[in-house]
Amino acid sequence: MSSARPARSFKRRTTAILRSRPFLTFAVVLLVWVAASFLRPGFGSFGHLRYLVELAAVIGLVAAGQTFVVIAGGIDLSIAAIVTVSAVSLPLLSIDADPTGVTAIIATLAMTTCIGLGNGLGVAYLRVHPMIMTLAMATFLQGLLIIIAGGSAISSQNPLVAWLGNARPGGIPAGVYVWLAVSALVLLVMHATPLGARIFAIGANPLASKLSGVPVQATTTVVYAISGFTAGIAGVLLLGMNGQGYVGIGDPYLLASIAAVVLGGTSILGGLGTYAGTMPGALLLVTITALITVVNASAGWRSILFGSLVLALLLLSGREQARR
Amino acid sequence: MATAAPYLAARGVSKWFFGNPVLRDVSIELHPGRVHALLGENGAGKSTLINLLSGALPADRGTIEIDGTPIPRMTPATAQQAGIAVVQQELSLTGSLSIAENIGLGSYPRQFGMIDYAALADRAEAAANLAGLHEPLSIPVGTLPLGRRQMVEIAKALYRKPRVLILDEPTSSLSASEARILTELLQRLKREGVAILFISHRLPEVIALCQHVTVLKDGVCMADRPIEGTDAAGLVRLMVGRDPGDLFPHWTPAPSLATAIAVKGFSSGLMRDVDLEIRRGEVLGIGGLAGQGQEDLLLALYGAAPAETSAAEVNGVAGLPRSVSRANAMGIAYVPADRKREGLHISHSIITNLLLPGFARKSALELRNRSEEGQVAKDLASHFAIKGDLDRPAQALSGGNQQKVALAKWMSNQPQVLLLNDPTRGVDVETKREIYIMLRQFAIEGKAVVLLSSDTPELVHLCDRVVVIREGRIVSLLERAELSEQAIVAAAVGAETPEAAA
Amino acid sequence: MSEVPAHSAKAVLPLYWQVQRRRNADLFGLFAVVLAFLAAYGFLFPGFFTLQGFAKFTQSWFPLALVAMAQAILMLTGGISLAVGAMVSLGAVIAATTMAGPLGVTGGAAVVALAGLGIGAATGLIVVKLRLPAIVVTLAGSFIVGGAALLILPRPGGAVPEWLSDMLAGNTPAAFALIVLIVLLWKIYLATPLGLGIYAAGENPVGAYRSGIRVDRVLVAAYAISGLLSTGAGLFVAAQTGSGDPVIGTAFTLNSIAAAVLGGIGFLGGQGSMRGALAGSLLLSLMISVMFFLGFTPVSQYVAQGLIIIGAVAIPQFRRKR
Repeated sequence: MSSARPARSFKRRTTAILRSRPFLTFAVVLLVWVAASFLRPGFGSFGHLRYLVELAAVIGLVAAGQTFVVIAGGIDLSIAAIVTVSAVSLPLLSIDADPTGVTAIIATLAMTTCIGLGNGLGVAYLRVHPMIMTLAMATFLQGLLIIIAGGSAISSQNPLVAWLGNARPGGIPAGVYVWLAVSALVLLVMHATPLGARIFAIGANPLASKLSGVPVQATTTVVYAISGFTAGIAGVLLLGMNGQGYVGIGDPYLLASIAAVVLGGTSILGGLGTYAGTMPGALLLVTITALITVVNASAGWRSILFGSLVLALLLLSGREQARR
Repeated sequence: MATAAPYLAARGVSKWFFGNPVLRDVSIELHPGRVHALLGENGAGKSTLINLLSGALPADRGTIEIDGTPIPRMTPATAQQAGIAVVQQELSLTGSLSIAENIGLGSYPRQFGMIDYAALADRAEAAANLAGLHEPLSIPVGTLPLGRRQMVEIAKALYRKPRVLILDEPTSSLSASEARILTELLQRLKREGVAILFISHRLPEVIALCQHVTVLKDGVCMADRPIEGTDAAGLVRLMVGRDPGDLFPHWTPAPSLATAIAVKGFSSGLMRDVDLEIRRGEVLGIGGLAGQGQEDLLLALYGAAPAETSAAEVNGVAGLPRSVSRANAMGIAYVPADRKREGLHISHSIITNLLLPGFARKSALELRNRSEEGQVAKDLASHFAIKGDLDRPAQALSGGNQQKVALAKWMSNQPQVLLLNDPTRGVDVETKREIYIMLRQFAIEGKAVVLLSSDTPELVHLCDRVVVIREGRIVSLLERAELSEQAIVAAAVGAETPEAAA
Repeated sequence: MSEVPAHSAKAVLPLYWQVQRRRNADLFGLFAVVLAFLAAYGFLFPGFFTLQGFAKFTQSWFPLALVAMAQAILMLTGGISLAVGAMVSLGAVIAATTMAGPLGVTGGAAVVALAGLGIGAATGLIVVKLRLPAIVVTLAGSFIVGGAALLILPRPGGAVPEWLSDMLAGNTPAAFALIVLIVLLWKIYLATPLGLGIYAAGENPVGAYRSGIRVDRVLVAAYAISGLLSTGAGLFVAAQTGSGDPVIGTAFTLNSIAAAVLGGIGFLGGQGSMRGALAGSLLLSLMISVMFFLGFTPVSQYVAQGLIIIGAVAIPQFRRKR
């Protein structure tokens, strides 16, 4: 019996993977890429696809933190502000004494993680609803941004940041490497550590989790800190890609992060899902946006198409049937 | 003797939940002017049958008939139009709305499209008076205690002047006087020709009030006959399938009794100034009517609720645990009463549920070992006889198996103190037997077991000692020799003599 | 058990008014804070007590009041809308492109109303029948509706008849009168089974269904009304500014949530009341104005706003624990 089991479980696992949401989402992305490249030859070129993946990397990074928060049963409405704060503050945190620019990045990430920590403490210990807490935090940060940046854009001289935003080691953008590295860590934590199991538990049922001994408040605080951290990384990357940071640079990424998470099969109610789905979700989002740009429609039609496509995709997958 | 068509009937109905058969080919007829009892163990399918009869759920097979006519698609609206009213255990009230607005919910008197509050006040008042409700009708229902809310639910059913009245354990949350009001009300309705279906666990009540009885066991109809000619013992035999005595394992006294937990001057929630000692090797029962503070006691001992004590000791260490994590570390485990909402993560797999306390205790970032986890889960499942694929969601299990998972998940922690809150509620007979055997086994192994139970026979047959709680205080501590159902119930209701409690 | 028999209570007040009085009792704290801010505002800006000053203030309050109610009605059902801002923009551009033309003001207003009701009902149907969570449906919806607004009016423009602007946004307290009218209409709706059913459907949907309430209809109606209120707010904003701007509504989404929460509306459903939401929106408006008059820098305004919102939510939690 034991010799047959490995074969059976391997087959079972591969079928499970093939049927899983992340894989299906990824398959849809590939399908769309193939179809689009027939209709528009330039679409499928390596350069264009590389550009898409680079764009997806930023969304993917922001959505990493959002995935954690959503699985834990919350939501983070402050990440757009955190991304902006990261991009705008980094040049100001650069020290001349450090030629590489590493310290500035570390300082920025420390700051954004603390902001996330603030969100987490408010949600976990003050019992403020996540929407309200993160909304209020976004409001604070808007004030902070006025102090830091006023109305102007701040250019970055940081060599490491520039490298991250523009270098292409081995033909692949540095940002994509960063995304892959962060993704590996995220998947590891989520699926291969007790912390991940606790996060799923509190998202599915906070009371039962508490009674099972899960440290609910500490775990909640941690996920929001993680969200601050990944939003910070995304901001650094954006700064590198743009060369400068300005107020509003992070704005598109709030809705994009939520959409990527949901398209990837994670339930907005919590307790179910995976970052492995958010990754192709981000790719899908970027692909849809690119397709719509190709259609060359007006801003209004682009927006309508975008919303309709997202809605249609949700219908195919995001139904909350008889889960509770 | 009814020769006309019954007002409401089920013919050969069957129902499955997640692949589990909950009702199998059950038929029942409700005739006017007759109080019909529906008996069965927890988990026998009574609530499901009610849901089918009232249109809240569709039958997977079989038909529901109103006045002899089969109704293909029954909904609560059709049922209401046919004059069927249900009073369920899960109340259908809205806390933020007033009593009157709740009583009339779903069938408000109208004028120009708006709710006619004056007419509502009159009709609601009439219904409220029938139910013995004298509170001002404008107060929000959420401010009432559970017993009063139950009476509002009853008034709500009466408001619609039903031909058929179905009551699912209406007396479980009622005081003795409220239960008496209800009984008189039902007798009056019977005289007026209403068909009544009455579910209750209190057999003396059933025998006194009802004329006909249907007994369900594991979703199958075991008996459908007039009450005349049966007695309580006979009914229990039909419900349980064996004599009550066979249900419980043989009791043996514990070899030695060291103290596991001792508290003095304990107060928490409804509990006031209580002294209690929990010993190893012993099953300590906690009895009393619902809502007297028993749950607050367990939660505070578990660190899940704050408590004040003048002295407390757990395993020789002073002080009650301040958090659940601390309690787990000290070897205390708690199995809640509501397994769907508090005891389990029902949307997660059985394995995940079984492993969660382990995950809660490990350090956050150590790498998981899936094969080791799988082995642990498999061992637990086989030890507790949880069959089938462990990757299924816990929702797919029957109530009894869910309860086993809720219990088994603590075992890897090797708890020394087990706090169990109504562990056999809604559990089928076979699983109950298994759980009872396990509990006595825990005691023999030297664990301390605290069994909070609403099932008096359980307390009598399983426990070494029983404390009875009333209004937040321990009113009685019964040693093994003094244990009897009468003694426990008498203490619970505060009767002077055991007979008054019956 | 209470000793007061029901029939003597009826002699005091009819049932309806008793119920209203008890509902108000919960809101004393909030009303007190609002009054305090009103007093502060009046103190800082005595012009408030003139007809003109009063009119100006209620005009700045009006759109927020409407979107707070739009959001509150959904939150009472346990839902939420992230598309409120887009709907406001849509209402504004429809108004600015139809009212100066052949349809006239009444025609234009009718189109605005129909758009709000229709889109709201469609959203409700998707949420209810297709079982998608409201937050993601309205998220996608905000793009669709926002896109429609851009199609109708790609750049700020259009026109609103002068007399309408003068009436709504001039020196007459028309805005206040409109608020009163809307509140009255809401009270009437709440006194219908569809309206009262919102509380039941939000707090105990299973119980409501078992009581025979058509939960689906209640929810779709709530979404439709919410849409109507949002586009209506947009119409007013267009009248205020004299033209339409396809992205004017963006800030309203999050502000509507903040106002509703300040007013005691909970996220779970069935918690809170419309008068609370209205008070919450008034409080938010007053806060912004008071801070402005007190000379708060924009930075400290943001900080203070954030703090007050958190405090308003966290403090009741603490009070309940003690």
